[in-house]
Amino acid sequence: MGKRDLSEYSICKDAQAMIAKAREDGVETVWDRLREQEPHCGFCELGLSCRNCIMGPCRIDPFGNGPQRGVCGADADVVVARNFGRMVAAGAAAHSDHGRDLIETLLAVGEGTTADYGIRDEAKLRRIAEEVGLAVAGKDAKAVALELAEQFFNDFGCRRGSISFIDRVPAKRRALWEKVGITPRGIDRDVVEMLHRTHMGVDNDAVNICLHAARLSLADGWGGSMIATEVSDILFGTPTPRTSKVNLGVLKADQVNILVHGHSPIVSEMILAAVHAPALLAKAKAAGAQGINLAGLCCTGNELLMRQGIPMAGNHLMTELALVTGAVEVVVVDYQCIMPSLVTVAGCYHSRIVTTSPKAKFTGATHIEFDVHNARQKAVEVVELAIERFKVRDAGRVEIPVEPVEVMTGFSNEAVLAALGGTAAPLIEAIKAGKIRGAVGIVGCNNPKVKQDYQNSNLIRECIKRDLLVLVTGCVTVSAGKQGLLMPAAADLAGPGLSEVCKALGIPPVLHVGSCVDNSRILQLCGMLATALGVDISDLPVAAAAPEWYSEKAATIGLYAVASGIFTVLGLAPPILGSKVVTDLAVSGLEGVVGASFAVEGDPVKAAELIDARIRVKRTALGLTP
Amino acid sequence: MLKKTVIVRPELCVGCMQCMIRCAQAHSQSKSLACAIREEILAKPRIHLGVGPENKPFPNKCRHCEPAPCQEACMPWAIRDDIAQGLKIVDPTRCIGCGMCAMACPYYVIRFYQDAGAPERPSVAVKCDGCHERVAAGAIPACVAACKTGALTFDEVNLYLKQGTNRLANAVYGVKA
Repeated sequence: MGKRDLSEYSICKDAQAMIAKAREDGVETVWDRLREQEPHCGFCELGLSCRNCIMGPCRIDPFGNGPQRGVCGADADVVVARNFGRMVAAGAAAHSDHGRDLIETLLAVGEGTTADYGIRDEAKLRRIAEEVGLAVAGKDAKAVALELAEQFFNDFGCRRGSISFIDRVPAKRRALWEKVGITPRGIDRDVVEMLHRTHMGVDNDAVNICLHAARLSLADGWGGSMIATEVSDILFGTPTPRTSKVNLGVLKADQVNILVHGHSPIVSEMILAAVHAPALLAKAKAAGAQGINLAGLCCTGNELLMRQGIPMAGNHLMTELALVTGAVEVVVVDYQCIMPSLVTVAGCYHSRIVTTSPKAKFTGATHIEFDVHNARQKAVEVVELAIERFKVRDAGRVEIPVEPVEVMTGFSNEAVLAALGGTAAPLIEAIKAGKIRGAVGIVGCNNPKVKQDYQNSNLIRECIKRDLLVLVTGCVTVSAGKQGLLMPAAADLAGPGLSEVCKALGIPPVLHVGSCVDNSRILQLCGMLATALGVDISDLPVAAAAPEWYSEKAATIGLYAVASGIFTVLGLAPPILGSKVVTDLAVSGLEGVVGASFAVEGDPVKAAELIDARIRVKRTALGLTP
Repeated sequence: MLKKTVIVRPELCVGCMQCMIRCAQAHSQSKSLACAIREEILAKPRIHLGVGPENKPFPNKCRHCEPAPCQEACMPWAIRDDIAQGLKIVDPTRCIGCGMCAMACPYYVIRFYQDAGAPERPSVAVKCDGCHERVAAGAIPACVAACKTGALTFDEVNLYLKQGTNRLANAVYGVKA
């Protein structure tokens, strides 16, 4: 990792300590590999390379000297749009396939073919079923679950013309989507159609491809992701406010440490059930451990944090470093954002990576496949493996670098409304009065190109200072939590209006609303506010940001936010800069099409100024004080 | 101090053209890729990829010869050797675009474009300047920094050849390098 100062990699003490330990232990990390890759391919960075057929691969010379068209004749605009379209399709596919796994679990519950899963929030099951038009009266929970699962499966095809939650979209926004032709039709349909369109010789108009990218992103945000969120709540409980802890200090030197990593609650909830089994606790004690400690990484960690208050060990860039503590027996993973390098890092210690999904195997990992019929038993096997690994842990190599920080979590829309007395009216009043000037969803990942958590946490600080309520999901949750921003005491860092509201309600100025599929909660909340005010989402004083994003999924989230009417600031540019048409569309043209656009700004203060300026305009247009 | 130069090993080149794109970026006004491609006068690469049999790529750049035929042919003294030691660098403010240098160059590494260094002239000679500004600042030439396969390295030529001799010696005695 060279001679660079540790503070250049991360603002977090736990990360810095573990990067130093990785150097001593000879463990290669994500930052080493980034350095090896730099400078990245300039064509790819600009989106100007096309690998879609074997007349190529082709590159468009951005300096105008070499080829300006691929072998097929595609110019820079078409090549960039094709690549971006596929990027967004992959992100939507990831969220939505995760959503489908939850429907399959719901179906198994409805069919009565699983003893391992059940309905933890029957009231929500019935409410959602009614919302999407099912008759629930006189039916038992299983029957409703079955019908709801069938209904949601249909959202993935294209039978009904649109998706179940389309009615959550304010009328003005739906009319706009109809006019532009981007109403999502079916989750799989719109994703597959993008793969079709970007095959050679299909859609060769950059703007047309980008509009379809917007449509399929909406099928994710208001479809696949929203289904994932709502069905997760039905199966595992709707989150309510609670406190927990965050950072590598949640690992315990005298206990068996198991980390869950990935995205879906289906596996992690079963691991949680197993770690409390008295027989396993007895085995752990017999192995010399004081207990079994479960903590989360990334979004499956967020799922457990929101619903069960399970502590979070870290976000994306902490996943390798968690293993470097030498204190982790097992990392059990499902899918998405799990660096293949974890197997290698685990191999440098006594740790084991356990894969659980047939669609996400890692060479060198231990594969213990989970399904709806065997999940509890398989979870027991995972915990037993962890206890065995604890026996061979080398205590001399263990270093747990920091003390954990407290966080408040669990702010589902249901919980927020309950805290407000059952309706959004008090929130709307606070916004009208200017105490809360607006709301900003700050979401997304870590990216080793950016000093870890610097942009995420500082953008949050800058926003709350300006009386903007911040909602966080995904990896930003940990960025915020580690800095103490997820506790009510952080109200002291907020502007006077927001501070007053937070103190009155006993809530933090930064609300943790879930995992990355739970960005759908933010969409739903925006939809509710706009409908209550009789306006479009693009009229609301709201914005979004993904300061340290890295993934295809984040590109999809950004696009569904913009296509839903929410101005979105990205901390890093997507690979579209090689096309003037696509770049101009993203940063300005979309404003005239969907009433919102992207901005790219890596400086958190300048990003906050962009957001603030946007919210001023929106507030003024609504006749409010800026 | 040993004088380092860009050493080309064409057998390692995969034809990715990263050297070209990063060369152009390094010779842009802004030095950032995203901004460089939007400059009014686009920077040009000074390293070129020749295509041999079976599409075998050949990275080709100025050797900074001594004596340099291009320099001897240049009538307005635009190819200077007083900017950085050992490098033949085109001064675009002196170049009249006559093409004599390119005719004299046996390696075909000089091209003619409008250049931001002399925007009033329609076309001046554009060739490798050894990234002398980067090297003075402690960096290596942009083409070398971009090369992922070792086809371009920045090294002292005799040291490089000595290492090659050692590799050969090992090979002769059946030792894998």
